[in-house]
Amino acid sequence: MPDQGTLEIRNVFKRFEVAGRTVEALSGIDLSVAPGEFVSVVGASGCGKSTLLRLIVGLDRDYDGEILLDGRRLAGPTLDRAIVFQEHRLFPWLRVEDNVALGLLKSALPAPEKRKLVREHLELVGLSAFAGAYPAQLSGGMSQRVAIARALVNRPDILLLDEPFGALDALTRAYLQAELRRIVRSEGITAVLVTHDVEEAIFLGDRIVVMHPRPGRIAEILPVDAASGQDRASTSFAHLRETVLTGLGAGHPALPGRLAA
Amino acid sequence: MSAVTIIPPAGEAAATTEPKRRWNGLILPAVLILLWEGASQSGLVDDRLLPSLGTVAGRGWSELADGRLAVDIASSLARDVSGFAIGSALGIPVGLALGLSRTLDRFVGPTFNAAKQIAVFAWIPLISVWFGVGEAAKIAFIALAAFTPVVVNTWAGARSVPRTLGEVADVLALSRWQRLTRLEIPSALPSIFVGLQLGLIYSWLATVGAEYFMTIGPGIGGLMTEGREHFHMDLVILGVLLLGGIGLGLNKLAALMETSALRWKRY
Amino acid sequence: MTNLDLDRVAFEAAVAERYRLSGRRFGARAGAGVAKRAGTIAAALIFPASLFLVWQVASLFDLVPAQILPDPRLVLATFREFYDTGDLAFHARISLLRVLQGFALGAGAGLLLGIAMGLSRRVREFVEPLFLALAQVPALGWIPLVMLLVGIDEALKVIIIAKAALIPVTINTSRGILNVPRSYREVGEVLTFGRWQTLTRILAPASVPTVFTGIRYGLTNAWLALVAVELLASSEGLGYLMVWGRQLFQLDLVIMAMIVVGVIGFLLDWSLGLVERRLQRWEAAGS
Ligand SMILES: Nc1ncnc2c1ncn2[C@@H]1O[C@H](COP(=O)(O)OP(=O)(O)OP(=O)(O)O)[C@@H](O)[C@H]1O
Ligand SMILES: [Mg+2]
Repeated sequence: MPDQGTLEIRNVFKRFEVAGRTVEALSGIDLSVAPGEFVSVVGASGCGKSTLLRLIVGLDRDYDGEILLDGRRLAGPTLDRAIVFQEHRLFPWLRVEDNVALGLLKSALPAPEKRKLVREHLELVGLSAFAGAYPAQLSGGMSQRVAIARALVNRPDILLLDEPFGALDALTRAYLQAELRRIVRSEGITAVLVTHDVEEAIFLGDRIVVMHPRPGRIAEILPVDAASGQDRASTSFAHLRETVLTGLGAGHPALPGRLAA
Repeated sequence: MSAVTIIPPAGEAAATTEPKRRWNGLILPAVLILLWEGASQSGLVDDRLLPSLGTVAGRGWSELADGRLAVDIASSLARDVSGFAIGSALGIPVGLALGLSRTLDRFVGPTFNAAKQIAVFAWIPLISVWFGVGEAAKIAFIALAAFTPVVVNTWAGARSVPRTLGEVADVLALSRWQRLTRLEIPSALPSIFVGLQLGLIYSWLATVGAEYFMTIGPGIGGLMTEGREHFHMDLVILGVLLLGGIGLGLNKLAALMETSALRWKRY
Repeated sequence: MTNLDLDRVAFEAAVAERYRLSGRRFGARAGAGVAKRAGTIAAALIFPASLFLVWQVASLFDLVPAQILPDPRLVLATFREFYDTGDLAFHARISLLRVLQGFALGAGAGLLLGIAMGLSRRVREFVEPLFLALAQVPALGWIPLVMLLVGIDEALKVIIIAKAALIPVTINTSRGILNVPRSYREVGEVLTFGRWQTLTRILAPASVPTVFTGIRYGLTNAWLALVAVELLASSEGLGYLMVWGRQLFQLDLVIMAMIVVGVIGFLLDWSLGLVERRLQRWEAAGS
């Protein structure tokens, strides 16, 4: 259904108490994501990207402002939103296939159907041969791929990804980026991707949200036109990359551009 | 999971696996046995105080032959296992409940922690009033001895389910039951096994205690009490050897069960 | 198999226990307010208070026979009486003296043996297997043997209590030293520490928390063994009070003695727990 997966974030504030001091992790976040849209979020470490995803997925409901999914206020996690955490968070006592199958525990599909889905998704992330392995037997990048399979397996309306490819080698990363893009496009999934990799953000995103820290806020939102996003070698791609980097630098505490912000 | 992990012997300790060195451990017992044998053979020490190995072995054989020893061992083991089974069957759910429910932890936890301070043997007089001095009382006491460590460790394990994995369960919208079986129990399992192993050690200790204090019916404790009353040192030593051997066997069995249940931890 | 399961269990239990102490996941944060603290205490008291109420009501209406569960007021009266006459102090003092003697002996020997086994591979190879084999026999199992050797006087009690304390202290001491991470020792090697410096600057501080946990377990075990020997063979002490009360069918006395045993056991453990937490402070950062 094409109209599923409208995400609206309105004037959201999130504060933490750390050692008696108040940290403003998110400050006045406004963002609308259309169904099927792919939004990349970039920003310096600690600017609240993970926090934002946790709010969207419903793990943390203690915030000010509104987060609406298809016009309704969120009341906690549901299966139509999936997340790939920054760390893989596999259950160490379950084999790889059972970890992926966790995503289908609540689904009403018949068992053979579920098994087939698990197998397909393991294949998708290139881990069919490791279906029977325990997480401790996998490398970091392999674990992360299992986590991606677990998130995708029940075809969520909204997919949230927190630096999912950070631990991967360049080839696997490029392959999974392409696969992710294909799946998300063909299924019409709404996606929000947090990444430190600006090229990844451009390649996958329809829009790029640049965040600045302290307090965590949106500095600018840059559209990616279809043509420049496709071709990493094009000059428009390179130009956009420069723009994003400049935008990032302006908010980076370690860079001189800070004064400009 | 950091709550319970085996820290393997570090440094030089790891090198002790050389097969030749293992035999070194037998030297000291062998020397002691030789001294013992020499002392009792030469008549330096009263044979009644320190019977020779042969005497102990002979006693073991004759007890075995008239069938009494088998009855004693079987009775003690049956008691131990039934008490342990009851104690842990109650202890695991109670520990899980305490560890998973914030309310129970707050309201009942402190009471349990206070009650467990009563040294377990102090319950014997009360239990013997409530249950008599027959089999029921013994098993009740053994169950109580196993119950406490099982609860304590299950509780600790259930409480330390990693929050990050709890969030995965939230996001996957697992039902209460799925959460329990897929996340909480497996995560607490290593700790539960520590509790079970401690429970096994304590219930064996309690079996001996129960048989000393409530001296009705066959059992290794009874055998030793009799040996002491009639000054049969060989019988007492036989009892000590049996207690150690069976205790060791039970522990090995528990460890075996643990390794097969916690396969995922091996990697 | 050089390390028996017993030591592993003891060690893991120690770790679990320490984890329990070092902070609850959801529980009161450091610097929690007084109100929160009071709330915690109030919550802790509600359950035992209601148990007590049920007990009192049951006794008042004769729902349970007094031979099964005496009226709590009777228990209190017995306590007052024993307290006023000084009998309680007398018996408690005897029990405490016994436990301290046995514990001092057992823990002292355990420390020496544990240090020797932790530092020297020789000692470990020759002594550890025998030690662990003997440790398999429950403390109570030695009672008839020791009785035949030394009779039923003080020596019996002290030996059994010492044996009960010896096992965990020895195991935790040797494990504590052995488990000092290789990386720490390597720091010492790089800094060209001598044996003595390695011992005092690296091994001792790094192993102290584990060793102390063993000491704490040793004391708990010693108290447990004390009650057992006093029940079996004694004419004084808290355990004897229980036997006596049981023979006279004075359950009020039995229950009073149980509570005293619990309170003393708690105080002993609690005081060592305080020290232990101080010693383990530096570990909190790592976990
Ligand atoms: N549970 C928490 N308690 C207190 N403060 C928190 C908590 N979670 C996050 N914060 C604070 O909120 C801010 C944003 O954290 P967040 O994890 O969202 O950053 P991030 O943008 O994901 O960083 P990174 O790129 O390093 O992952 C940080 O200052 C952090 O200290
Ligand atoms: Mg993050």
